[in-house]
Amino acid sequence: MFRAPLQRSLAAVSKTRQVGPQNTFQWTTNVRCESCIDRLFTLGPAPCPICGKTLRKLAFTPQTFEDLGVEKEVAVRRRIAKDFNKRPEDFPDLRAYNDYLEEVEDITFNLINDIDVPETEARIAKYKKENAALIELNIQREEQYAQYLKEQEDSERLEREQRAEELRRLDEEEREEREKGKQELIDKLETSDKDAIKLVARARAEAHKRASARIASSNPSLSATNLARARATQAAAMPDVPHVPIQDDWYAYEDKYVVRDTYDDPVSEAVRRDREGIMRAGGYRVEEAWERALRCAIAGLEIPPLQGLHAVESPSPDVVMAVA
Amino acid sequence: MVCENQPRFMGRSLNESTDGRIKDQKIGEGTYAVVYRGREASTGRKVAIKKIKVGQFKDGLDMSAIREVKYLRELKHQNVIELLDVFSSKTNLNLVLEFLDTDLELVIKDRSLVFLPADIKSWMAMTFRGLEFCHRNWILHRDLKPNNLLIAADGQLKLADFGLARDFADPGYKMTCQVITRWYRPPELLFGCRYYSTAVDIWSVGCIFAELMLRTPYLPGESDMDQLKTTFRALGTPTEEEWPGHTKLPDYVSVGQFPKTPLRDLFTAATPDAINLLSKCLTYDPKKRISAKRRPLSSLFLRDAIPHAPVQIT
Repeated sequence: MFRAPLQRSLAAVSKTRQVGPQNTFQWTTNVRCESCIDRLFTLGPAPCPICGKTLRKLAFTPQTFEDLGVEKEVAVRRRIAKDFNKRPEDFPDLRAYNDYLEEVEDITFNLINDIDVPETEARIAKYKKENAALIELNIQREEQYAQYLKEQEDSERLEREQRAEELRRLDEEEREEREKGKQELIDKLETSDKDAIKLVARARAEAHKRASARIASSNPSLSATNLARARATQAAAMPDVPHVPIQDDWYAYEDKYVVRDTYDDPVSEAVRRDREGIMRAGGYRVEEAWERALRCAIAGLEIPPLQGLHAVESPSPDVVMAVA
Repeated sequence: MVCENQPRFMGRSLNESTDGRIKDQKIGEGTYAVVYRGREASTGRKVAIKKIKVGQFKDGLDMSAIREVKYLRELKHQNVIELLDVFSSKTNLNLVLEFLDTDLELVIKDRSLVFLPADIKSWMAMTFRGLEFCHRNWILHRDLKPNNLLIAADGQLKLADFGLARDFADPGYKMTCQVITRWYRPPELLFGCRYYSTAVDIWSVGCIFAELMLRTPYLPGESDMDQLKTTFRALGTPTEEEWPGHTKLPDYVSVGQFPKTPLRDLFTAATPDAINLLSKCLTYDPKKRISAKRRPLSSLFLRDAIPHAPVQIT
């Protein structure tokens, strides 16, 4: 991993877990040369001889910048950017986005300059918890975008290579033809008794004809790619209607109940006890049965009791669980 | 939910050949029913009349006819076929359904039609909408395939053929695993699983999605065993980690180890979003498979672009 000269120094802008009630992280900066690191940390984590903190070899990375402050700032920013990855489109307006950027900058500044570290860490943890879904989504977006870029690059490279190959082939053919024509002309001049000037003129005319034919034959492939490109752009230019996932207004009473995590339900006991997973490997979920029972019960609440019957049973989940 | 305001066809409003129903043309015949194209006498609206053959079943009416009536009576949605009426003539049971011009299988087979990505997206979105409605009403379709996705004259896609549908089971209540046309059957059913959920329909949707892109069935197995092999050959043999508990399923057999090939290798023209959705529909573990309900929230395939208004198919 470290291919540089032996005496190169490595900086550990290390994330060291500080033993304390709050389990916070703290940034320390240490500089060591490679051989010292090898000597000190080969046997696992060891206390730093200067500051006394326990460090690991893994925490040391090659020093990129001469100024350790810069090194630390880069490390902090890299860490912050991983979680604070919101985009302008995630905010209702520019103002909100700018406020968010300001907050990120605040946190970054605090971490870099060791101001209120525990409080800042708490802020980061809180943000991470509140925005877990969005963070994950943005990571995915980022990956997809990277994937897309890579694909585009690959296809461009492929196209370039093909074009170069094609050009090379054409050049080769042309050269061969020219050689052949030259040889033919020499042969003719040797054997024929016609006027040498006329022969040369005819050979030139033929060569010219061949060359123009070649140019013409290489054109169709060009137009084919143009056509494909035109079709692609046409497809892309088609207007897109905003997607509405669900277009009906069928009311499912979903605002009127909350399904609990578990119920005292003897009927589903067999499924819930199924540790082997035979009943669950197929995707069966007891929660769905519960939700169905609940919704059916709620839906029945607003039905007025039948008139003229002396015994009207109240709707209960058991009644509605029909079996096909 | 039940169609109360539908015109009634009982004997009088439809001209039977003998007593006044206009029966235009026989358009199909299945094992348990013959389908005719007909017209509603009063409005001239085209309808499909499904005549159930009652006589030949010793045990009374065929199960699928009962299922079809039972569920279609309850479901009314733009992406689910509409049951207009049920009536009997002589010893036959007749279902009057809305008439739809074509189905997705014919469209896929018609080589003169060129699919744009937007067409596929639009069909997928409509399939998901219809399926979500079924699932929201606790009904599993259990026979999704291009042949059962009908397309109306205005391009709306509708789920049809509820002959194998059923509602969700009570806890511990067994369901049959002999459902869903083989090429669209998920691995948990091939392994004989008797307790399953909405995820089985999603697998079929994944297969249909792939078929729309390939223009040929994605997983055409020749027998149930071969179906497993074909599936694993295409998607790799599942590991215990990927799909916990699958080796304990009743009919589990090992059909050999196949490596995982990225979907991208086969679906070269698909966008990353499309590949992403496809892989989430064809996830081995049914619990991790995407659901019709969560699909709209999943920011995948329908994120930036967006199915067109239903295409016109003539």
